[in-house]
Amino acid sequence: MRTEFPWRNLKGLALAGAAMLALGAGGASAQPANGGPPTATGPGGPPPGGQAPSQGFSPFAPPPPPPMSPAQKLAAALPPPQPGGSLPLPVLAAGSPMPNANPRDLQGTWFHNQNLEFRMQRDMYGAPAPYNMDGVKVLARRVQSLKDGKPYTNASAICRPPGPEWQHDLNMPFQIFQSKDWIEFVFEEYHGRWHVILNPAKAPRPAQKDYMGYSVGHWDGNTLVVETSDFKQAPWLDVDGTPLSAKGKLIQRIRKVDNGDQAPFIEVITTIVDPTYYTRPWSVVRTFGWQPSLTVFNEYNCEEQIGDPSVSADAGLLPEPKD
Amino acid sequence: MIKSRPRHCAVLAGVLVAAGLAASAAAQAATPNLEGVWKIATPTKTLKPVKGTVPFTEEGRKQYDENKRLQAKGDYDDYDITLTRCNSPGTPRLMLTPERFKIWQRFGVLTFDFEWNRALRQINASNLPPKDDFMGAGLVPTMTGTSKGHWEGNTLVAETTNISDRTLLDDLVPHTLDMKVTEHIRLLDHNTLQDRITIEDPAYFTRPWDAVVTYKRQPAALFAEDVCLDRLQAHQPAFPSQ
Repeated sequence: MRTEFPWRNLKGLALAGAAMLALGAGGASAQPANGGPPTATGPGGPPPGGQAPSQGFSPFAPPPPPPMSPAQKLAAALPPPQPGGSLPLPVLAAGSPMPNANPRDLQGTWFHNQNLEFRMQRDMYGAPAPYNMDGVKVLARRVQSLKDGKPYTNASAICRPPGPEWQHDLNMPFQIFQSKDWIEFVFEEYHGRWHVILNPAKAPRPAQKDYMGYSVGHWDGNTLVVETSDFKQAPWLDVDGTPLSAKGKLIQRIRKVDNGDQAPFIEVITTIVDPTYYTRPWSVVRTFGWQPSLTVFNEYNCEEQIGDPSVSADAGLLPEPKD
Repeated sequence: MIKSRPRHCAVLAGVLVAAGLAASAAAQAATPNLEGVWKIATPTKTLKPVKGTVPFTEEGRKQYDENKRLQAKGDYDDYDITLTRCNSPGTPRLMLTPERFKIWQRFGVLTFDFEWNRALRQINASNLPPKDDFMGAGLVPTMTGTSKGHWEGNTLVAETTNISDRTLLDDLVPHTLDMKVTEHIRLLDHNTLQDRITIEDPAYFTRPWDAVVTYKRQPAALFAEDVCLDRLQAHQPAFPSQ
């Protein structure tokens, strides 16, 4: 059984572009497709051990995966997400401008160089996402609503800022502008903004909470570490509705990688910290390639459809039940 | 000894950051730098001709009068979907928004980053190769149109076409799909930016006509998250300060 993506049939769909990207299924996704057993522990990785070695034990084989929790088993039994695709990446033209050599200067235009992932099922090591029972209940409800063709309202679908994870996860380019006090991410999608405050004295926490939360960053070596919290409402982490509670926190570790192969990229490791829905913090990784040729964005004007007073303000989506 | 190492690293990294950012700015020194935070000097809803009145053709006058009639009736969605839907005001109306905007210059592309509803417009004065257009997006008129720019001395000259006729020039004046907007954007002094806007649209105007809008430099700032649709949902106006 496969999860259909019914929103493509809805008038006023803010995610038409994302649905189209799904057509090019196949290829590697952002996370391991079936996520073999984790081979290492680390941020968000599973604890080692838990099972006796099998008869064919080899000291060079990866350890067996830990047993799944009841919540993880429920998540694994859900209809699989729509396979994500991506548009062909533009070839970097000869003589193209390149990123600044300073590893702490992230400025420029960047574009997702992995397939769109509709649902984060596994962490960056391939282990199943550590749902607790409340978390898998929310996910299952959302997946079922998609399957039934009656998806729930969420910020993205009604042309509101979708939160920092979903905002950068869809396959649309963004620019980074940087000063000593803050870093501004400007996205084509939703004409979105994500502000990372380096100097909170210059940009204090606003009185009203924002859809994108409040993000404070600092440099750890050449990695920008950003902690985002204080969300106006609980954001969805992806298209299928992997949940984050409004009290949840995202920790993003962002670094520029330039191996001298004319293919620089930035890596973003996001650690999801949310005891409301998960048994432990867990991490996903995304990479974004250098694409100056995408500096001129396509116009993204979802308001024209979503704001149409002759149609429902919720784009025909259903309100999600409260827990 | 061990404790001091991170401090040295931090100092070194700080120097590198400063050097890198300075290098970025230097790389753009060949063209005038319009970057900064700007705000319209005299807020107005009207794109006022420099001389006389808007030179409507008969057809243009008819549509303008119809817009006035709809405005008086309160049928805003029938002529101005910015007010009713938070649709992008487009080019050139975005340049009349009463809130601040930022200009960024990267790779020859000028990105206008508006405080109002996080709106964007861009002027491509670069030598970047054209983008692939798998979806045929370039065939569809957009609110901000397609803006190509070049520099004439210290003046950015931008020509914009392919602007959707669902936008207005200001709060009332209509245009057709064939409109061309030519802007001459330059610094009058370090703190004053001027945009001379020339409108050409033979179906609605008997001749090209000019308007001049000026902006004052503002202190560097992060803009608060502005979501126009939330205002409409709360039965507030799309433009909070008008």
